[in-house]
Amino acid sequence: MYEIRFHGRGGQGAVMAAQALAEAAVLEGYYAQAFPYFGAERRGAPVRAFARIDESKISIKSQVYEPDVLVILDESILEIDPISEGLKPGGKAIINTVKRPEEVDLGIEVECGTVDATTIALETIKAPIVNTSILGAFARVVDIVPLESILNAIMNRFGEKLGHQSGVMNAEAARIAYQKTVVGRSKGTRKVVGKKMWLPTWNEIPIGNTLSPGEIDGIVVGPGSMTQNLTGTWRTQTPRYSKEKCIRCLRCWFSCPEGCIERLEDDYERWDYRYCKGCGICAEVCPADAIEMVRGVYEW
Amino acid sequence: MKVISADHAVAHGARLARVEVVPAFPITPQTLIVELIAEFINDGELDADFLPVESEHSAMSAAIGACAGGARAFTATSSQGLALMHEMLYAAPQNRLPVVMVNVNRSLGAASGIWVEYNDSMPERESGWLQVYIEDNQEALDMVIQAYRVAEDREVMLPMMVCLDGFVLSHTVERVDFPDQHLVDSFLPKFKPLYLLDPDEPVTMNPITPPEYAMEMRFQLHRAVDGSKEVIEKVDREYGALTGRTYGGLVDTYQMEDAEIALITLGTVTSTARVVVDHLRSEGKKVGLIKLRFMRPFPSDELESIAENLKALGVFDRSVSFNGFGPVFTETRNALYHLGTPLTNHIAGLGGRDVTFKEVREMFTVIEEHAKGHRVKECHWHGLRGDS
Ligand code: SF4
Ligand code: SF4
Repeated sequence: MYEIRFHGRGGQGAVMAAQALAEAAVLEGYYAQAFPYFGAERRGAPVRAFARIDESKISIKSQVYEPDVLVILDESILEIDPISEGLKPGGKAIINTVKRPEEVDLGIEVECGTVDATTIALETIKAPIVNTSILGAFARVVDIVPLESILNAIMNRFGEKLGHQSGVMNAEAARIAYQKTVVGRSKGTRKVVGKKMWLPTWNEIPIGNTLSPGEIDGIVVGPGSMTQNLTGTWRTQTPRYSKEKCIRCLRCWFSCPEGCIERLEDDYERWDYRYCKGCGICAEVCPADAIEMVRGVYEW
Repeated sequence: MKVISADHAVAHGARLARVEVVPAFPITPQTLIVELIAEFINDGELDADFLPVESEHSAMSAAIGACAGGARAFTATSSQGLALMHEMLYAAPQNRLPVVMVNVNRSLGAASGIWVEYNDSMPERESGWLQVYIEDNQEALDMVIQAYRVAEDREVMLPMMVCLDGFVLSHTVERVDFPDQHLVDSFLPKFKPLYLLDPDEPVTMNPITPPEYAMEMRFQLHRAVDGSKEVIEKVDREYGALTGRTYGGLVDTYQMEDAEIALITLGTVTSTARVVVDHLRSEGKKVGLIKLRFMRPFPSDELESIAENLKALGVFDRSVSFNGFGPVFTETRNALYHLGTPLTNHIAGLGGRDVTFKEVREMFTVIEEHAKGHRVKECHWHGLRGDS
C-alpha cells in the first residue's frame, strides 16, 4: 500500500489534490481513498490531507503517520511543522519551491522533486492555487500513477465542480509542472523536532471547559489569546492598496475575516500585516480594483 | 404545612432555595410551577428575575447563561419542552454549571398525550445531568432544595433534573411540610460558580475543543457524575438531621431485610408498590421493594449489594426502548451481571395508563414464579390488551 500525506494551507487545495490523486489511481485500476484533517481555522491555516493507494480494497480509516510520499504545497510550513515526521527512509517528497532538491532540507535525505508550482498556477489558472500543479510533479516523481490518469482525474473533478474550461486550465498546469519538476535528493541535516503540544491527562485539564487568561506550557490561552496567533505568518501573497483608486466603500473593511483592515481618520484604509493572512477576500470584494494581491510577503 | 400539588411544592422549594433567575416557558403539566414562582416574585416573596422566554431552547440557554453569570438558576419543563432543550442541555454539564430543572414527566411525541411516561427524560441520561425521580409531593419540595446543595457542591458542579410524574403528582394535592427559611439558608449557602462570566474579567467558556482534548474532558465529566454519589448520600443525611426527612440517597429500600424477591420501582408507582408489599407480607411472603431514586448517577454498586441474596428481581419501567427493554431494566441488568440474579422487566403505565394495585400484584406473581425456577418471559407488559 502507498500512503501519501499532503501538507498545505487552507485555500491551496490540498484536499482536492488528495481526492484527484485517489481518483487518478482508481482510473488506473487501483483502490484508493482520500480524506482531509481540518483544524478550527480555515483559509491560510496549515491543513493536512491523506491518500492511500493499494491493489486491494483499503479498510484502514485512520490518518497516515508513516507516509511513503510527502506532498508539500507550501514551503513555509517546513518552518512551523515537523512535516517530514514519520516519512519512510525510502520515501519520496514533492515540494512547491523555487529551490532545487539539494537545497531543501527535510531532515531526512530522500528522493525529492521540486517545482515552482505557485508561479505555474499564477500563470495558468491565474490564482495561487497549487494543487493541480503539484499533482503534475507527483506524476514525475512517483511512478505509480501516470500523468495521463492524473490529467483525466483533474478534468473529471475540476471540470465537474468549476466548469470545463477550469478543468482544461488545471490539467494544463499539471502538464507544465510535470515538465518543469527537478528530481534529485533532499538534504537531511535539519533536526526534526515534534511540535510542542500541551497534552494533559484528564485530571490536569482545568474543569468546566473554561480558560482564564494565562499561559499553559508556554502557550497563551483564554480570552484575547488569538492576538498571539499571528496569522500574518500564513501569508503567501499580500494585498497592495491604491489610495487613488479607493472610493471608500468599506467593503474590504467589512469583509476581512481577520479584521485587520483599519479605517483611518482621513477615511482611507490601513492594513495590519501582523494578522493579514493573504486570503485575498478584500481584493475580491473591492468594486474599484483598488486592492491587488501581490505574490510574496510585504509591508507596503 | 399546606395541602398543595407537587407543582406548587416545587415552586415553594424554589422559593425557599432563593433562586435568582427563572427563565421559563409554559407547558402542561408543568405550568403551575412557573406560574406560582411568577406570583412569588410579583408579591415580593421571592427576589428573582423571571424571564418569560419564547421557547424552551431559550429557557435553557438563559438558565445556563444566568448560572455562568453567578446566579442560582431554576427552570421547569415537560416532554416536548425538554426535547426542544436537548441541544442546550449538553452545554451545562461540560461547563459545570449547576442549573436545577424540574421535568414533569409527560409522554413525548406521537401519539400525543399530556400524561406521564418517562420517554422524555430517560433519553437525556446521556447528557451529563444528574437525574432524580420523585415519589410524593413532600419529596418534590425537599428535593428541589437538596438538588441545589448537591449540584453546587464543589466536588460535583453539575446540573440536576428533578423528575416527577405528570398529573399523578403534578396535579395531586397532599400534605406538604415547609422547612423554616433559616434552616434552608443554613443548609444551602450562596451559590459560588467555578468561573464567573464577567465582562471586566473575561474568561473563555466553551472554546472549540480539538480531538486532542475532547476525550479527556469527557472522562472528567464521566468521573464527576460518578463522584456525585457520595455527595448525594451526604446531603440527604444532612437534610435529614435538619428536617427529620431523608430519602435514602441514591436508592431506598422497603422490607428488604429478609426479602427473597423484590421489585425495583421509581416515581409514584413506588407508593402503590409499598401497599402491595404490605399485602403480600400479610400473606407471609418474603417480598421487598427497591425504590430507585437516581438514574444518573446510577447506583450500580448499591443495587449489587442490595440484590445479593435475592432469588429473583423484577424491574418496573415507565418507558421502553422499542425492540429492547425499559431503560431501568437495561441498566439494572448491567449492574447485576456478575450476581446473575434472575431478572424480569415489567413495563406499565405508558402514556399515563394508570398503574393499579392489581398490576403491581401481577408483577410480583411473575417474580415469584421466576424465583421458583419456572421459566418466565423476560419482558412483561402489564395492563396491555392482548398478549405481550
Ligand atoms: S486584509 Fe485582505 S488578504 Fe488580508 S486577511 Fe484581510 S481580507 Fe484577507
Ligand atoms: S473595497 Fe476597495 S474601494 Fe472599497 S474601501 Fe476597500 S479598497 Fe476602497
